[in-house]
Amino acid sequence: MKSDIMIQVRNLKKEFKKAIKEPGLKGSFKALFKPEYEIVKAVDDISFDVKRGEIIGFIGPNGAGKSTVIKMLTGILTPTSGECRIDGKIPTENRKDYVKEIGVVFGQRTQLWWDLALRETYMVLKEIYEIPEEDYKERMAFLNQVLELDDFITSPVRTLSLGQRMRADIAASLLHNPKVLFLDEPTIGLDVVVKDNIRKAIQKISEESGTTVILTTHDLEDIELLCKRIVMIDKGKKVFDGELSELRRRYGQMRELGFELRNVDDIAKLTYKEDFAFSDDDLSIERSGSNVKVRFNSDVVSVEKMLSYTLSKVHVKDVNCKDADIEEIIRRLYLGGGEAQ
Amino acid sequence: MFRYMRLHKIFIKQDLKKLMEYKVDFLLGAVGFLLEQAVQIFCLGIIFASIPALVYRENGVVQDSWIFNEVLFIYGFSLIPKGIDHLFFDNLWGLGYWIVDKGDFDKYLTRPVYSWFYVLCEKFCVDALGEIIVGVALIIYSTLTMPMEVASAINWWRVLPVLAVMPFCIMIFTSVKTATAAISFWTKRSGHITHMCYMTNDFAKYPAKIYNVFVKTVITYILPFALTAYYPAIFILRGESWWSLPVTVLVSVVLFAVSQFIWNKGISSYESAGS
Repeated sequence: MKSDIMIQVRNLKKEFKKAIKEPGLKGSFKALFKPEYEIVKAVDDISFDVKRGEIIGFIGPNGAGKSTVIKMLTGILTPTSGECRIDGKIPTENRKDYVKEIGVVFGQRTQLWWDLALRETYMVLKEIYEIPEEDYKERMAFLNQVLELDDFITSPVRTLSLGQRMRADIAASLLHNPKVLFLDEPTIGLDVVVKDNIRKAIQKISEESGTTVILTTHDLEDIELLCKRIVMIDKGKKVFDGELSELRRRYGQMRELGFELRNVDDIAKLTYKEDFAFSDDDLSIERSGSNVKVRFNSDVVSVEKMLSYTLSKVHVKDVNCKDADIEEIIRRLYLGGGEAQ
Repeated sequence: MFRYMRLHKIFIKQDLKKLMEYKVDFLLGAVGFLLEQAVQIFCLGIIFASIPALVYRENGVVQDSWIFNEVLFIYGFSLIPKGIDHLFFDNLWGLGYWIVDKGDFDKYLTRPVYSWFYVLCEKFCVDALGEIIVGVALIIYSTLTMPMEVASAINWWRVLPVLAVMPFCIMIFTSVKTATAAISFWTKRSGHITHMCYMTNDFAKYPAKIYNVFVKTVITYILPFALTAYYPAIFILRGESWWSLPVTVLVSVVLFAVSQFIWNKGISSYESAGS
């Protein structure tokens, strides 16, 4: 019987040895003759499971260790300790068999043959993965339809636009119908329309082929539209693992109060922080001209109190209040680091 | 194995297509190489114009000597295994210079092909044909213009065992490049180490006897380029050093095993690059 779990990560750790260098040429010289090292824990004891067919969002600030985890899952890096199994297989053991079952897209780095027509890349991949002619045709037709490759399949890769290249890269990673697809920032640098197309394509592929997808991104819209579940890591540690709705429920007490001042100088009268004893995390004020946005924690001060306080102090033209979006929640989690759990 | 040969053929085809895209680059490369070879041979010519033969003395007594044609023959021969390695397995240079440093090695690890082989066959270096052509031309020219007494020592049947050993000679070049390029898995860059080791093959273009024990040992057993040039060439010319043929097989197999060991150790230390 096939297990329901596709990816199993247990106590995964990765440490890098990093040379300590003092700044400047002098420091470099010193490091050359008397090198000193420190151990950097890029990934520190992470465990999680991913179910078959699930799309999970893997998020965290820059340098949190997301890419390192992905690289261990794809067999590029060898873990310092702990293990990951994908469909029961360990990536770094018997690599050649293992990589047939995964597809990898690194948004910042293309895997296509730069100087050749796109079609040639697919022909070479067909040989590398030993895809039978019939499967290849069928798969190509499907990917063509989902990712609309026809317009540029005969152009050399170097002439493709970023959006085209990303579509081509995703198709290249799916040609051999892998069980798991790793997408490392697939929408980076793309415009809104292309992003939307790519998201739809990912969704469709996951639905029709039952592919498990692990997605890292900084674009939270990707997450909101594609993933039910997210795993968030920061400084190499897991800080959240659960459904998006759960995240919203747990950390969704942030509200945003927006208003337009009649008199711009009135802003000085609004001393929320002093009057309500907000901590730095619970309050942020953004101002552009006479428009003010106040984000605050409604657990500390209720919406009603904030509103009446504001209206009693200043005259406003317009006022609105809304839930903070997921971006705001994540921002708070990033700033808060480990305290979230 | 069969599958890998088929894959290699496909890669070569792709590379030839690439070549058609960048014709000027190829032409300039070819011209540059021919100039380089012409200068080297010209220098040899100048030296031999003022001296009749290369002579090796021990305690003042002449032990051995080689005339210009023989040196030219050895030189020409040395270019053949070197050129074949260059033609098929040139991509290893890139590994030590940028592939590992930039994190581009990632892609070789995510394909169902042995990473070493994938790196090896990804580039087909047509420039190397120049090396091979010059090598063959030198061999032909040097034999045709040889004085009778030297030419009569050649037994062309001896070419057969040398041809049989040729794949092992090529393997020596490939293994030295593999082992040194794999150092980059730890140091990020090792192109200069590869370059330094590779360049010792320049020593091997001349009779190994003229060097002191240290250099001779290095180029026979450690970076055994003499086995790819002087020894087989002098075996064809004079029937000397027949022992070098089995030694070539042995040494190259050991070297290959060592290089594979370093490669596979290196992969688990590979650190990729941030993205």
